[in-house]
Amino acid sequence: MARALSLVRHEASVDAPRLALGDDGLVERARRGDVDAFEQLYRLHAGRVYALCLRLAADPVVARELTQDTFVKAWEALPRFRADASLTTWLHRIAVNALLERRRGEKRRSARVSLADDEDAAEMIVGVVAAPDVATAIDLERAVGALPPGVRRAFVLHDVEGYTHEEIAAMTGLAAGTLRAQLHRARQLLMRALSL
Amino acid sequence: MTEHTSPDDRLNELTAALPREVAPPPDLWPAIRAELAPRSARTIQWTPRWRLAAAGLLVAASSSILTLFAVRAREHTPAAVAVTPRDTAPVAEERLPAHLVVAERAYARSIDALWRTLDERRDSLAPSTVATVERSLRIADSAIAEARSALEHDPANRVLEDLLVSNYERKIDLLRRATELAPRT
Repeated sequence: MARALSLVRHEASVDAPRLALGDDGLVERARRGDVDAFEQLYRLHAGRVYALCLRLAADPVVARELTQDTFVKAWEALPRFRADASLTTWLHRIAVNALLERRRGEKRRSARVSLADDEDAAEMIVGVVAAPDVATAIDLERAVGALPPGVRRAFVLHDVEGYTHEEIAAMTGLAAGTLRAQLHRARQLLMRALSL
Repeated sequence: MTEHTSPDDRLNELTAALPREVAPPPDLWPAIRAELAPRSARTIQWTPRWRLAAAGLLVAASSSILTLFAVRAREHTPAAVAVTPRDTAPVAEERLPAHLVVAERAYARSIDALWRTLDERRDSLAPSTVATVERSLRIADSAIAEARSALEHDPANRVLEDLLVSNYERKIDLLRRATELAPRT
């Protein structure tokens, strides 16, 4: 996890590509099989997709694989993409699905994450932050990475990416009550970890 | 931030300050590119069979020559350790540098995906074409195995490392071209 966070810290200073104001032309060309157009879409969106995957997975190797899966699936599904939707949201949804598929394929313990799993999470993540008075963004990244997976997913999608409860429910299949509970739990754990 | 900021507000401030973008690994796009199947028959590039075969032979020849040079260079280094007999078994992952392990996994995923595509379209290819493709891929596999085997004896040799990576790239290129020979069913 420390490796993942150091990566975030290091790469955050890199000039990220600007998001396209209009991807329509590129999408249309990519739909027709133009790989160069798809590469341009990748260059425009990969930074946000990779950031999401890195935070969801808390592991750079897994994040890389999820990003790869996301863009390969996007290429395959692009003919079905509706032009009136946001490409970023659509890519994020594919990334979340890729993560969920991966979790389902893992062992039961890591696949079935519930609030009951994180009884000791507060104790776990308090130790992650070096000192209580250095509540910086890097500490927050570290603390988010140490959250239990389900709680982390809810926090990243809602608080970091800004998706609404309804959008997250559509992406993850979570019930509204479960999502609210996970978000509350995430904030509690993070505030405790950061000594806020 | 003021001293009276609530914990909730402070957490919101910190969250809002997180970077929204993180640059992905620079070698990610080539790995993705290798997995992209042709969109439609209109994009198929009909590669003559002889070019596939030639590409396979080129992989084998260049790989063997480069491996030989790399190994000889190591043998002629005064501080070189005596060469041990070659082991034909694949290099264990833990004996490879970590970045190469990650790269190999990515290549394996790309190769698997291309193989699946090729298998799906195999029936639309002439038997002679399938035979040519398979022969070329066997040659490519042999070149990869040769580079891996050499790397086992000299894990720090950057030339061998580059050679292994380029052999993977060539195999992926062969597979991609083979999938482009077959129209989508």
